Amino acid sequence: MIPDLPKPVDIAVPLFVAAIVVEMWIVQRRNRAAYEPRDTLTSLILGFGNTVAGAMTAGAAGAVAMWTYEYRLVTIGWTWWAWITAFVAYDLSYYWAHRAGHRIRWFWASHVIHHSSQHYNLSTALRQTWTGFIGLSFIFSMPLFFLGFHPAMIAFCAGLNLIYQFWIHTEAIDRMPRWFEWMFNTPSHHRVHHATNPRYLDANYAGVFMLWDRMFGSFTPEDDVDPIRYGLVRQLGSFNILWAATHEWVGIARDLRRAPWQAKLGYIVMPPGWSHDGSRDTSDSIKARWRDREQPRGESRSPMPEAAE
Amino acid sequence: MATLPGWVMLVVKFGGSLLAIFAIAWLVKRMGLGKGYERIRDEEHAIALAEEAEFGFGGVAADVDAAGYGAIVRNATGVMLLVRAHGNRFAARRIDAGFTARLDRNRLWLQSGERAFGSVELDFGGRASVIASRLRTVI
Repeated sequence: MIPDLPKPVDIAVPLFVAAIVVEMWIVQRRNRAAYEPRDTLTSLILGFGNTVAGAMTAGAAGAVAMWTYEYRLVTIGWTWWAWITAFVAYDLSYYWAHRAGHRIRWFWASHVIHHSSQHYNLSTALRQTWTGFIGLSFIFSMPLFFLGFHPAMIAFCAGLNLIYQFWIHTEAIDRMPRWFEWMFNTPSHHRVHHATNPRYLDANYAGVFMLWDRMFGSFTPEDDVDPIRYGLVRQLGSFNILWAATHEWVGIARDLRRAPWQAKLGYIVMPPGWSHDGSRDTSDSIKARWRDREQPRGESRSPMPEAAE
Repeated sequence: MATLPGWVMLVVKFGGSLLAIFAIAWLVKRMGLGKGYERIRDEEHAIALAEEAEFGFGGVAADVDAAGYGAIVRNATGVMLLVRAHGNRFAARRIDAGFTARLDRNRLWLQSGERAFGSVELDFGGRASVIASRLRTVI
């Protein structure tokens, strides 16, 4: 029988609000520029929009999940080990969804909203997508349903995963103990993920367990000699909420209209910044230029971005 | 215990969220967060900001607005980058044919081709007309 599970995120919302207030109090004493009133309001309204969009598409996403579950290989029950396995398995699927969210423009168009703030504080954590369903990132969870995990169990684990990721969006915490930094995603690791410095681009996709980045070669440590700048490679320069939520979709539509037929698909499936005539920068081309500049000088004191620790 | 109808729960949930949003936004202002806006200090600072905005831009010269609100940075090939304040951070765009510019004595008004990026009015003092004529080569 399916247990009556609560929605973890709904329960956590008051804690989110309280944590933001505590961080604001800390920031007021340390660095007032860590917050910006318009940026915070934009982040919070985008978070609210995410809740509304989620409520509107939950039925459809649930139907797809249940349909996939109908064809499951085995039936994994509701035992304690199933919960632990589901939590870890969902985190792995999240890693790949997140990585695709940065490397494939269609997925990026949905995820970019989360990176559109030039600030990094707890309100940034709530800056979430409005177009997740169109962005199709849920397809990365489908293998779990096919394996036999019940969609309700995965939805619960996804909620816990999201709650975990809230607290790591802060500059108020420097580093956690070494063992913790090795095993789990932390504010330091996730600051790197939100960075626009060439050294840090396309790194640290983990949700909870840092193991995935270490395994799949995407781990980059925070280096104090290269202070982090946040946001997008091409900053939005706008607090317009609708534009933040949709600008990459508009960009895709414009590119599809202008591109020659043989190049159109590339503007959907290639990495953000890709262009058929090579006239734009991708994170790869920026990083390549950075390597060319840094290596002859021997100035890089940290491992190269792709090198796992 | 009787539970509230679904639509009431939804209204409470969304209403509560909106209330919390505006309470936090009010508190951010009330606590004076975001104050101490950084401005562009000098040419060197403007060039550094251009490099941060576009890695490898290679700025060699810059004209900085009197209030430090914005700057136009040039690289060795003559490409110009508009750097302007965005809240207490900075954002930049390459100046290209999509831009519109208007000169009014010492002030130069620039509108990028992107509506969301908006326009900026910069005070370049006596250099404004020289900068404007330089802009005419691309706009």
